[in-house]
Amino acid sequence: MDLLLPLIDALSYILILVLIALGLMIVFGMMGVINMAHGELFMIGAYVMVVCQSAGLPFLVGLLLAPLIVGLLGLLIEMLLIRHIYLRPLDTILATWGLSIALKQGIVLIFGPESQSIASPINEMITIGDFSYPLYRTLVMLAAILLIGGTFWLFLKTDFGLQARAVIARPDTAATLGINTRQLYRSSFVIGTALAGLAGALVAPTISVDPQMGLGYLIPGFLSILVGGAGPLAGVLVGGSAVGGANSLLTVWISPVAAQIAVFIMAILVIRLRPEGILGGRK
Amino acid sequence: MLELDSITSGYGDARVIQDFSCTAEAGRITALMGRNGMGKTTLLKTVMGLLPITSGQILLDSAPLERLNPHERSRQGLGYVPQGREVFENFTVAENLRLAALGSSLDHLDMLPQIYDWFPILKERLDQKAGTFSGGQQQILAIARALITRPKILLLDEPTEGIQPSIVRDISLQLSRIAKETGLTILLVEQNVDMVKTMADDIAFIENGKMMEKCLLEDLGPDDALLHRYLSI
Repeated sequence: MDLLLPLIDALSYILILVLIALGLMIVFGMMGVINMAHGELFMIGAYVMVVCQSAGLPFLVGLLLAPLIVGLLGLLIEMLLIRHIYLRPLDTILATWGLSIALKQGIVLIFGPESQSIASPINEMITIGDFSYPLYRTLVMLAAILLIGGTFWLFLKTDFGLQARAVIARPDTAATLGINTRQLYRSSFVIGTALAGLAGALVAPTISVDPQMGLGYLIPGFLSILVGGAGPLAGVLVGGSAVGGANSLLTVWISPVAAQIAVFIMAILVIRLRPEGILGGRK
Repeated sequence: MLELDSITSGYGDARVIQDFSCTAEAGRITALMGRNGMGKTTLLKTVMGLLPITSGQILLDSAPLERLNPHERSRQGLGYVPQGREVFENFTVAENLRLAALGSSLDHLDMLPQIYDWFPILKERLDQKAGTFSGGQQQILAIARALITRPKILLLDEPTEGIQPSIVRDISLQLSRIAKETGLTILLVEQNVDMVKTMADDIAFIENGKMMEKCLLEDLGPDDALLHRYLSI
């Protein structure tokens, strides 16, 4: 039973990481935008919960508002910033990095630099035999699985997804068939940001909410994409599992900092030995 | 009818197409011929909006297109079969066709029986990934995909490139039949003399990005003098 708890914790971390990396991957795969502010959108999702909690709103209202507000913010960012720099990855790094600093400082100005805590809406534990685990964390995992499944379904099984994948593969050809690539970019960017906002809101009660929290997910998120390779979606699952699993499990035996260093070294080794990621085949 | 009026375009500062004017008459097949590097593909990309136009006008049935985005031009009635086919290799045949309908209108899926009648191979291989197709089969798929958008004019960029001669002939005959049956206007950019002679009504010649001459197929001259002049064959 000693290993079960860390394993489930690792799974929970992996699921959130995959959720964040999916948003990053959609935006990068489709538009060539490396969104350094993705972690801050995740953070703002958590801060929406802070505001809702202090306003006395029910937890579920916060869960609805977070993706809406962060999605709207995403729309604004797309219209004012991102659409001017599509398909210019280097410029997007600089622009979104600047944006991430601005968002972080904005939050510091409003809420201060200290960390906030969100009360868990459910305090019960799930108990099976002599093993017990917080019910809320279990529900977050289920929600993450549903969201990941929903994102896969959206991109692999729907007409929207068919068009999005066409735009990823051959943007010009898709446009000559009458597909409005700009509008697809915009909707996908908003979907990616809304996912980050919802992820932030979901995990807010399980972590400490502070202005720096985004980076802690952004970097492993990028590593997951690099390590996973192959096909935008499946690669994120494999990469997220490898990076998140290793990071989370290693902290059982060594300090979090040492675990992170170990994960970085492992990621470098993977990328050195398999430059196209674990699944290979990435262009 | 597609009218190109004094078009100038190119890549960056390099002008590839200069003051080019040409008309593809409604219901006719116009072939645009010229050697490699003369600007044929650049011209079609400019017409589709994939390359910016520096000056000039593009009129489709008198409506100006030059300020529209590629997807708007497609919806106005330009059907485009790019050089190298550019089918979506990871999509099945059915998905490739559905995508084209999504770009125009899902109602266009009623055309599928007609498309399968023209190109039976597509019906047989609906669930096969386009990437497993031969060059000729991919070309057929790319043509079918453009036809699903119900274009007023079909722009074909070197459809015979890298395809076996027997299939080139099949495709030419089928396209002529489709044009005859539906009254579709076609602008064909091609170097393959056999295909042009099988299909075209009018032939235009391009050299160094300039329109040189246009004639009826019958008027190519004794021993295809114009072909010799502009294609060096």
